[in-house]
Amino acid sequence: MVKEIEKAGITIVQMANLIPVAKTVGANRMVPTISIPYPLGDPQTSKEEQWKLRYHRVGVALDALATEVEEQTVFEV
Amino acid sequence: MKKGILYLNQFFGQIGGEDKADYAPTIQEGQVGAGMLLSNLLEDAEITHTLICGDNFMGSNEEEAVEKLLGFLEDKEFDIFFAGPAFQAGRYGNACGVICKAVKEKFDVPVISSMHKENPGVDMFKKDVFIFKGGDSAAKMKDDMTKMAEFGNKLLKGEKSEGAEAEGYYHRGIRHQVWLEDETPAVVRAIDMLLKKINDEPFTSELPIPELETVPVAPAIALENAKIALVTSGGIVPVDNPDHIQSASATRWGRYSIADMDKLDNRANGAFKTIHAGYDPAAADADPNVCVPLDALRAYEKEGKIGSIHEYFYTTVGTGTTEAEAARMAQEMIEHLKADEVDAVILTST
Amino acid sequence: MKLEIGNFQVQKVEFGKTSSYKDGTLTINKEEALAVVFEDEHITDADLVLTKPGDDVRIVPVKEAIEPRFRLNGGPAFPGVTGKIERVGEGKAVALKNCSVLAVGKHWGSFGDGLIDMSGEGAKYTIFSKLINICLVADTDEEFERREQQKKNHAIRWAAHRLAEYLGSIVKDMTPESTETFELGPITKRDEKVKSLPSVVYVMQPQSQMEELGYNDLVYGWDTNRMLPTFMHPNEILDGAIISGSFMPCSSKWSTYDFQNCPTIKGLYNEHGKTINFLGVIMSNLNVALEQKERAGMFVQQIASSLGADAAILAEEGYGNPDADFIECFRVLEEAGIKTVGMTNECTGRDGQSQPLVTLDESADAIVSCGNVSALIELPPMGTVIGELDALKRDGLSGGWEDDEKLGPSVKEDGSIIMENNSMFCGDSVLGQSVKTMREF
Repeated sequence: MVKEIEKAGITIVQMANLIPVAKTVGANRMVPTISIPYPLGDPQTSKEEQWKLRYHRVGVALDALATEVEEQTVFEV
Repeated sequence: MKKGILYLNQFFGQIGGEDKADYAPTIQEGQVGAGMLLSNLLEDAEITHTLICGDNFMGSNEEEAVEKLLGFLEDKEFDIFFAGPAFQAGRYGNACGVICKAVKEKFDVPVISSMHKENPGVDMFKKDVFIFKGGDSAAKMKDDMTKMAEFGNKLLKGEKSEGAEAEGYYHRGIRHQVWLEDETPAVVRAIDMLLKKINDEPFTSELPIPELETVPVAPAIALENAKIALVTSGGIVPVDNPDHIQSASATRWGRYSIADMDKLDNRANGAFKTIHAGYDPAAADADPNVCVPLDALRAYEKEGKIGSIHEYFYTTVGTGTTEAEAARMAQEMIEHLKADEVDAVILTST
Repeated sequence: MKLEIGNFQVQKVEFGKTSSYKDGTLTINKEEALAVVFEDEHITDADLVLTKPGDDVRIVPVKEAIEPRFRLNGGPAFPGVTGKIERVGEGKAVALKNCSVLAVGKHWGSFGDGLIDMSGEGAKYTIFSKLINICLVADTDEEFERREQQKKNHAIRWAAHRLAEYLGSIVKDMTPESTETFELGPITKRDEKVKSLPSVVYVMQPQSQMEELGYNDLVYGWDTNRMLPTFMHPNEILDGAIISGSFMPCSSKWSTYDFQNCPTIKGLYNEHGKTINFLGVIMSNLNVALEQKERAGMFVQQIASSLGADAAILAEEGYGNPDADFIECFRVLEEAGIKTVGMTNECTGRDGQSQPLVTLDESADAIVSCGNVSALIELPPMGTVIGELDALKRDGLSGGWEDDEKLGPSVKEDGSIIMENNSMFCGDSVLGQSVKTMREF
């Protein structure tokens, strides 16, 4: 889906845990998440901590959308 | 007697050499040049017409060429279509690929060609056309035409392909399971492969690593006025799954309103849940925002970092879903995204 | 460690007054057998149904398969599951061959359950059509998961393991018809000839994706999700140390029966001392987070290197995100100079055109491929269904569905079915039995 949306000219960032998979499917802008069942918030941590992590990483994702890249890029969180 | 049609370029179509590469498409009744050989090799079938087009004409005016050529075929009855062999000629290989793909899409008949492995047409069209492994020059005409004819005969008889390796065409990227005739179990094959690898002997992997397709990078956007949409393959849906999206091997997707929501409410409160069967649902059911981070995105919207959030989020399930279905669903989503002037997408996967 | 399994080739199974075995016929006293099942009060309904190869029978939803075994030291057949933990893989045990105990839901299926046809076109999709199956068809009071797609199926699975042990006990005092011996001594004490052969480890990745306990494969009763890769003696796997879980889409599943009979372990044993020095098993897992996959890969690499392995066979119980573990381990083993062959199945979609594994790496240049989870299968109705046919379409099995615009529901009015290979019980036999491969078309 990432490739199709990007081919249509809509800038897209993929947030995924398995970065190797995201690379394989051809995503150009990628932001790592912390796991598969809970990408943006570990239920073992407090609500505060989950919020902080989610807010931060979504911020990175938005910044990724605003960043020019030449090739597949994983944005550091 | 079944009917076949053959496409040739200006040279093999006996119009002329490089000087005639701009030759506009024509159709001739009967066989031309090596088409006679092909027709003789076909069993219970004949080549009834020959399409001829200059390689440069096709290269520079592809749309027009294809339109003309398909136009010639509209009133013709035919069961199979051949193009080439193109050997190492790149423009000819491209032309064969283009016309075969177009004929297949319009007329739904088997399309067969042949090219040398270095012909760029191979990588471009092997997924769409049966391209047989061909020689590097016209000296191989008889061999290459024979392979095309033999496979053509098979398909015309209603027989199925025994696979790319067995038949001799380039991998099309279509893999299916088969039962081995000799019933060699996987363990025997693995140990055999292992011993060969250990002893530096050649072996053949049963899963060749395919090449990866990349897409051109979309431009960076200006966030302050941007409309951002959330898309997910994590299967977050309203609790009643109104569009009956499947939990695996999905062919359906949904888009659901998040207008006026500061966050996604959870399953226990009768709002959203996950239906994705490929991961432990507990966290996402308890707080769908861990998968579709609406709450965080709203915060950024309020702060003015982004212009707005698209009023719908889009969802489907990623596990087991084929690439073809995912691409189709994405195309359908894209229509909405474009109509609603979405500037960028955050896609979360699980 | 030396393990001797005394085999009894079961040709026929019937119910009778006394549980006994004679000349190939296994007789089961149903009440006694069911008493073992009903030891768990959570079982509310249970029956035993017999079926053999060639029967006009379809079995669904199948949750587990176990070979009847008994360990002659009197210890539990499945330590940590049917009894207290103790080390297995040594001494003598007995086995009833050509048969298995199947855990079948009387009504309710779950994501990881599967289907078996005992005859006809559907039989070829699973090796279990070739065994005499003693089906435990049961219902439980586990209301918390009654309507859930993911089920622990704890009561039925534990009951089936107890039942398998009970049946194994029938032959405990008898002289086996034949014996299989599995002997592998301490690595550093092997003779020079063996030590000079290329050394091989078998890296197993059993499924461990669920974060809540109760769904994943267990090693000595311990959840594989809560493990880091470790080194095990192959005999332990053959002798009940590891049991299957309740999550994995069924064609990828390694049932307890598959572990007990692991063909790859037996194959490596066959080569041991002749072409290879079989060091043992590195038991890894398939946890979900990227960091956990990387950490497991590190441990696998370190254990294999420290043992001095020259080569490895690597097998994953799953597709999708487990492919990432598979490729990661492949990559790090090759990085350490350990020549690796991988065994897996693929998910190329019903049209065959999807990428076979979700992630790829050039280093994964030697793979044996066992099947396609996505293959679409249409089968006619069968005369008898053991279990409940509707479970295939209703209960969220990985290869079945309620409705589809093109294909309709998985179960038709007349009992014919359309499903994905995904739900064929242990259909892809990645532990080694698969006679399928994948071919380019």
